[in-house]
Amino acid sequence: MQLSAFKNGEAFRVTQVVLAKEVGKKLADMGFTSGAEGRIVRSALFGGPIQVRILGYHVSIRKVEADGIVAEPLYPIATHSASLVTP
Amino acid sequence: MNPPKTLRVGLVGNPNTGKTTVFNAITGSRQKTGNYAGVTVEKKEGRKVHKGVELIVYDLPGTYSLTAYSEDEVVARNFILDEKPDIIVDVLDATNLERNLYLFLQVQELGVPVVGAVNIIDQAESMGIHVDLKLLSALLDIPLVATVGTNGSGVGELLDAVVATANSPRQVHRHVSYGAELETEISAVTREIEKDTEFSSRYAPRWFAIKLLEKDANVSHKLRQCGNRIAVEALVAESIRRIERHFGRDAEIVVSEQRYAYIRGGTVEAVSVKGRGLSTGSERVDAVLMNKYLGLPIFLLIVFVIFQVTFALGKYPSDWLTSLFSLLSASMSGLLPAGVVRSLVVDGIIGGLSGVLSFVPLIAILFLCISILEDTGYMARAAFVTDRFLHLFGLHGQSFVPLMLGFGCSVPAVMAARALKSSRDRIITIIVTPFMTCGAKLVVLLLLAGTFFEKYQSLFVMSIYVIGVVLALLSSLLFRKTVLRGEVTPFVMELPPYRIPTARGIGWHVVDKTGQYLKKAGTVLLAASILIWAVVSFPKPPEDSAKYASMSSRYSAEHSGASEADVSKFIANCRAEEELAFSAAGRIGKGLEWAFKPIGFDWKIGISAITGFAAKEAVVSTLGVLYKVGGDVDDKSASLKESLRADKTFTSLVAFVLMLFTLIVPPCFSALAVIRAEIGWRWLGFAASYMIVLAWGLCFSVYQVGRLLGYGG
Repeated sequence: MQLSAFKNGEAFRVTQVVLAKEVGKKLADMGFTSGAEGRIVRSALFGGPIQVRILGYHVSIRKVEADGIVAEPLYPIATHSASLVTP
Repeated sequence: MNPPKTLRVGLVGNPNTGKTTVFNAITGSRQKTGNYAGVTVEKKEGRKVHKGVELIVYDLPGTYSLTAYSEDEVVARNFILDEKPDIIVDVLDATNLERNLYLFLQVQELGVPVVGAVNIIDQAESMGIHVDLKLLSALLDIPLVATVGTNGSGVGELLDAVVATANSPRQVHRHVSYGAELETEISAVTREIEKDTEFSSRYAPRWFAIKLLEKDANVSHKLRQCGNRIAVEALVAESIRRIERHFGRDAEIVVSEQRYAYIRGGTVEAVSVKGRGLSTGSERVDAVLMNKYLGLPIFLLIVFVIFQVTFALGKYPSDWLTSLFSLLSASMSGLLPAGVVRSLVVDGIIGGLSGVLSFVPLIAILFLCISILEDTGYMARAAFVTDRFLHLFGLHGQSFVPLMLGFGCSVPAVMAARALKSSRDRIITIIVTPFMTCGAKLVVLLLLAGTFFEKYQSLFVMSIYVIGVVLALLSSLLFRKTVLRGEVTPFVMELPPYRIPTARGIGWHVVDKTGQYLKKAGTVLLAASILIWAVVSFPKPPEDSAKYASMSSRYSAEHSGASEADVSKFIANCRAEEELAFSAAGRIGKGLEWAFKPIGFDWKIGISAITGFAAKEAVVSTLGVLYKVGGDVDDKSASLKESLRADKTFTSLVAFVLMLFTLIVPPCFSALAVIRAEIGWRWLGFAASYMIVLAWGLCFSVYQVGRLLGYGG
């Protein structure tokens, strides 16, 4: 499911970034790669950017960028964390 | 071989890792700054002698990666490739090692020795993150040293490691392993590149191969120098196809994923986290400042306060400087004999200098505020809350601060646009910023609206403000769709943890930015004001004292109650008008009457509008000269209002058109000089032409439609 479909507070694990070129590469550089875990922190008014926590830091991305990230939901406590920090 | 006496050290690192504090801790105050050629990326350099070895440290721009997409990244990468520093120090944020090591491994791939300075390790510990440096260093086979930049601890050890690593470079690093499929392709491409031995001695062939698989435009361009180019290109295309088929995604993404997977192999064992591993203080602050409904009002309040502080507080030192300069020009007038030299010194040079320097307090205060917002980490939050609205018009969340400051003065506003990392966003923001009605334009608006729309003065002034904002938004949308078209730049922006800024860091920013303004804008501006002085003063009409004598006796006869002073004031004004009409500026105004006529201006209004190109307040003082008021005029002078109203061509429609014209034409010379410094002559030329065409076109439509509707008077 697309990252943009997650609600505030929900945790996820990235499956794939489907965007390419500058935007996709930037997302991948910033840690949105398969297996990375994170959580949606909040979203701005009127469909503005969303704040995501990933790899233990906070990042802001636009809705269109979140549309290009495929992720699976993670349920409250991840037991086998591939990532550095639990979301 | 003797160990070298001088080492050139490049300092890299992610933004917000405390790279600058490490730089300061190493070099102390021995720093100098400049800009990289052609870009607004800052260049800093410092020196340090460590155990008999002189270290020249270059502070490279903070980046997350080394792709060819961002200016900062290209600058950092080209520095390493072209300047070939002896060693690189990568400052790593201990609270966020995975993302930080991602850059480290890319730097290492470039084939330079790298030492990692694992910074803010104290903060990581307090957040429950424990890093086993020895283990991590061994697992990834990289030299790592713990540092705390803020108190300088670990810097000695870091420099020991720098000297040791530089003196005994290990020729073969252990590479990042990208996994079997990717490695096969990488080695095939590497082998092909190595066939040109001269080329592969210049660039690390393995790095080059990886970048080609990442479809890096910059590197593809460099490949032209390779003798084996055709074969390499064919192989790369084939490899990319195979990779994308196997992984089911774009090759550039696959490379990033494999790099992160390799890093995780190390961090999963060497980094342990207790609890959530997060700065909870930052989350609590964010809960308020980034609140869905409060975020925007809080941001607007902060901008309002900055605005007030800058322009209210800055007014005093600005006024002191201005009066200091009038004192100076008065004393120079006393010293020098009347004539061209005095006029040049007093009106041209001192007038110009006073124009340049009166902005200094504003710029210093403004950058003090902005540095505080930047160093605390709030700037990224501000972009977050405003991005939705600005993005509609092709702008970026970070465009908001420059636009807002434009209401005060375009000079600092344009400089504030540096916060925008993408050059396209920055250019658009800078070009539209002058549409925000600045303080000097307000003076003109107040005079005209006060004269012609008395009761509705504020309504008409307000309407100009609104038109300015609308033009700014629509213009940026237009540029985004035409000249500055292109892919949307990503809004992937780190929201760093809040930090308390250091007085030293802030002070340094303020001194640096103000100095840059003086150096870059100051020189151009001084030259421009001398030029304007020349255009307004030359050529001089022939001296005709008999004419003025007869005029003065006629004036005295007609105005029986006139005092000596009144008469001489009248004569001085007549003379000033004649001189202005005779000067180059006057001739330009008359010569351009054909252009001004369709928008309702006669040559007098035309000249006033033209002098407004130098400084907007000049529109008022020129009107003062041309309508024979003389002396100091401002928006409140009653006699100027009367004579403006008495002029038949000056209808209220023309007044409104002149207000509109003043709003839209290119900003004053100070602003133009700063725009040139930020985005270069070419974009400045484009912006200025756009504004002139837009100003004329809009004024023409308003004037002609107004006349048809019967407002022509």
